[in-house]
Amino acid sequence: MMNTNTLTMGGMTNLDDHHLRSRQAQWQADKWMMVGALFLGTAVFGLIGFPLFLRGLALQIKAQRQGLSVRPTMVTLIGYLVAIDAALNSIGWALDLVAHHTLLARVFLMAWGNMFDAGYFWHYNELWIGGATAPGEKGWEIALLPVVFCMRIAAAIGFLQMKRWGQQWLIITCWFGVVAWVGYIANMTIFADVRYTGVVFPVIGWWLYDIFYITPFLALPYLHSVNREIFTD
Amino acid sequence: MNNVSPNNLPLGTTPAFAGMHKWLQRGLIVCLSALVLEGAFTFPLLAIWYGWPELSLQEICTEFEKIRFSDESRECIYPYPLFAPAEGAGQKTAQDVWGVQPRPQYKAIEYRELIKRRDDRLTRQAEGETDSKY
Repeated sequence: MMNTNTLTMGGMTNLDDHHLRSRQAQWQADKWMMVGALFLGTAVFGLIGFPLFLRGLALQIKAQRQGLSVRPTMVTLIGYLVAIDAALNSIGWALDLVAHHTLLARVFLMAWGNMFDAGYFWHYNELWIGGATAPGEKGWEIALLPVVFCMRIAAAIGFLQMKRWGQQWLIITCWFGVVAWVGYIANMTIFADVRYTGVVFPVIGWWLYDIFYITPFLALPYLHSVNREIFTD
Repeated sequence: MNNVSPNNLPLGTTPAFAGMHKWLQRGLIVCLSALVLEGAFTFPLLAIWYGWPELSLQEICTEFEKIRFSDESRECIYPYPLFAPAEGAGQKTAQDVWGVQPRPQYKAIEYRELIKRRDDRLTRQAEGETDSKY
């Protein structure tokens, strides 16, 4: 009698074996990519994390070519990159929100501020809450850290697990990102005198530095056009 | 790779969106690489611009504070007491043109300028001058 355990697949003994080997290959690739992503999310140790991440990605692509059922490359790239993007944003803003009197914040946040955006230099550490004093900045930090970035990392994990809620919540949190960018840039432009007077590379410098944080915008067209049936309930 | 026959497409990608997905993937790889490079080099390059290693991080912090609050008597206190008020709370020295759009009067800090600034101040102090032009 023919059942799934006796079906022969191209080069595989049967479906169970294929399933097992696919899971093993995915987990093997994910171990490299997770460790890589942890380093990448710290910013300063990114050069350590990048080769680890690429090694995992290469393992996954290799498994794909061998006919194993692993995640699509785009899902992997979007899932990890959106999480890394959220982690990098969180580091800077968490430093400013709760660690504004550390030497690290008072040197590097302010150096960055003086270089690109004086929202992180002008009257710094003068508010009772400490940190950035530019109009509106603290409001964005308080709104975006717990609501957008934490939720986006959680959604990215669900997305990498190919869960339908992961795809749905990634859509939601990436649209949050659109609101965040539009609102943040409008606020920054309105208070441009505070933010760009006495700055080494104003406006264009800020854009050149920050444009690479648009990964949520690149994710959205994919999330809306991918076949949703590949995600499970 | 450019073949859009459904059999050759990645899981979840339909022929109609194959081209778009390919370009999105390229964009994601560019962003990932750029974020890695920015993350790795921002801190060391900023440190060099603002005077490290000739100036220690605490000395850079001190120079920032003097400029930001236009007060040469300020020093960067580190470690900062945990429950103390913010270091700039209640300060009256920072120079701005106040209005609905405040405009700071400090100038952008040029490459390695903080070292010269510190040296000039030390020279003035050695000469017994008291100077508060900043």
